Amino acid sequence: MRKVQPRLKTLFARYRIPSQDTEDILQQALLALVYQRPSIRDPEAWLVGTIRNKCLLYWRDQRRKLYEAVDAAVLEVMAEPTAPAQEGVDLRRDLENLLERLPERCRSLLALRYRQGYEPPELAKRLGYSPSSISKITTRCLAALTRHMVTAGICTKKAEHD
Amino acid sequence: MTEDHPSPEALERFILGQLSPLEMRDVARHLLSGCPECQCVTSTLWEPEDVFDEPELILEAECAAEATGDEYDEVLDRVFGKAAAVEARVAEQKESADRLFEELMQVPASRRHLLLSNSHRFRDRLLCERLIEEAHEAGFEEPRLAVELAQLAVSLAARLTAEECGGQEFLHGLQARARAQLGNAFRVNADFARAEESFVAAEALLNEGRLPLLDKAKVLSLLATLRKEQGRLAESLQLCDRVAILYRKLGQWGLLGRTLIQKGFAFAEAGDIESEMKLLRQALDLIDPEADPRLFLTARHNLIHALHDSGRSREAFALLFHTRPLYLKMGDRVNLLRLRWLEGLVAFGLNRVEQAEVAFREIREGFIELGLPYEAALAALDLAGVHISRGRNAEVLQLAEETLAIFQAHNSHQGALAALLAFSSAAKMDQAGMGLVKEISSFLKRASKNPDLRFTYTS
Repeated sequence: MRKVQPRLKTLFARYRIPSQDTEDILQQALLALVYQRPSIRDPEAWLVGTIRNKCLLYWRDQRRKLYEAVDAAVLEVMAEPTAPAQEGVDLRRDLENLLERLPERCRSLLALRYRQGYEPPELAKRLGYSPSSISKITTRCLAALTRHMVTAGICTKKAEHD
Repeated sequence: MTEDHPSPEALERFILGQLSPLEMRDVARHLLSGCPECQCVTSTLWEPEDVFDEPELILEAECAAEATGDEYDEVLDRVFGKAAAVEARVAEQKESADRLFEELMQVPASRRHLLLSNSHRFRDRLLCERLIEEAHEAGFEEPRLAVELAQLAVSLAARLTAEECGGQEFLHGLQARARAQLGNAFRVNADFARAEESFVAAEALLNEGRLPLLDKAKVLSLLATLRKEQGRLAESLQLCDRVAILYRKLGQWGLLGRTLIQKGFAFAEAGDIESEMKLLRQALDLIDPEADPRLFLTARHNLIHALHDSGRSREAFALLFHTRPLYLKMGDRVNLLRLRWLEGLVAFGLNRVEQAEVAFREIREGFIELGLPYEAALAALDLAGVHISRGRNAEVLQLAEETLAIFQAHNSHQGALAALLAFSSAAKMDQAGMGLVKEISSFLKRASKNPDLRFTYTS
């Protein structure tokens, strides 16, 4: 299996996995390979495929933490006292602008969440989603919101505006 | 907008989700204010998941891997070293598990569960793997033994700990596979209610957490077979697609080929022979005939059958000609009889009635010798088709009566006996036509998998 090492190095670099986290990912995959060896037809391809998948899961986990932080921050902004300072007003306006850029489905979901303070079960009921799928849909919408918040699109427009 | 900007390091750790919850919140709030400077920093750090496969990025990664090579090399060397040690240990454990399996099988069946629950020696992950594997194999030859072995596997998997399995995900994966194998064993015994129960338990484990993809694929693949047998073809096809995605992700092309064959079966069941043939051709491109000749032969065999069924007997004949060496190489009696059967069917399709007759006679006798009543009866029905096409009613009647007697001596399936009796009665009245032959054949194929199936005369 050592001959696959250069491919794995490229893979970790491609997914920009910090070297300290590489150890966990590789160890899990190699142990799985050892334990499941009899039922694996092409070990090299299996290892590369499994590690690629684990790298994606790694990023998904990191991103989830990020979405949760964004969600918490927005909820906090919206929960501020009724007569907010100018800063609060600006923040709300920025949020409204951000929401405007999202697809309709996310706009209505996040508007209900942030303006009306709806929790996921209430969102599911109100928007006609099943309780089991609402968390997935909310995460996708938070992902879209976060992307707009941190990417160049908003950066360029803001910079032009300023 | 706040004037205090987070440091570039803080922004990077924010994108990586590595700050404390409070710090994460502060940076998020700052970015929400639309700070253009900070957004310019974060935008360079943000990479959506789907860009990872872009060629430019791959090239960049190759350069990066060279630049940071030492760092990665150190980690890779260390982990590969550890894995080699584990591999050696697992090889020893495998031998020990094989001995435990032999020991377990020497004990009377009634005491096996007791032994598993009372003796610590038998608490072994690889023994559980072996039981699952043996249960699968037994499903083809001894369905009742398959249930017993799978029940042992389920019971053993429930006693194992995450530590004994190399982690929680492997334990759940093993438990899910054991449950699915039990479900499969019940399916083989046509006990669909208990099969369903087992698969509900297996699926609950799948939904509980992250399972190794290979385990997930195996569970879903067995479930797809159950759904096909239950006639829930749309669900079966959807499951096959999910399994195919998993094998594709893992680069398991041979197993992907197997899944396409499985999907082809579901299309065949739905009567969509064109889709079946398309999938079989794709499967043949993926299966390595050197590495898995049996699977390759299965795909070719099914394709020849499908070509014959769709009236393309000339193409079937050509493909059969090229596949014959593979049948001969596999060499076992049943496979050779299946080859002869295909030759008979294709010959009949090409109107070479005499050749077909000789082939059907040979295979009927072969299956009788092997004590396989369903196959013998099906071959007899094909032979009856030849007689009917030549208007030899006396031969049809003689064949129908012999087939009924032989089947009765080997099998007590009430529905199958009723079908053969109906055929015999029709032959007595000179009313056994090709339509009836096809109807009885199709019923016998289904009855061989379902002991409770009842025959309803429609012709």
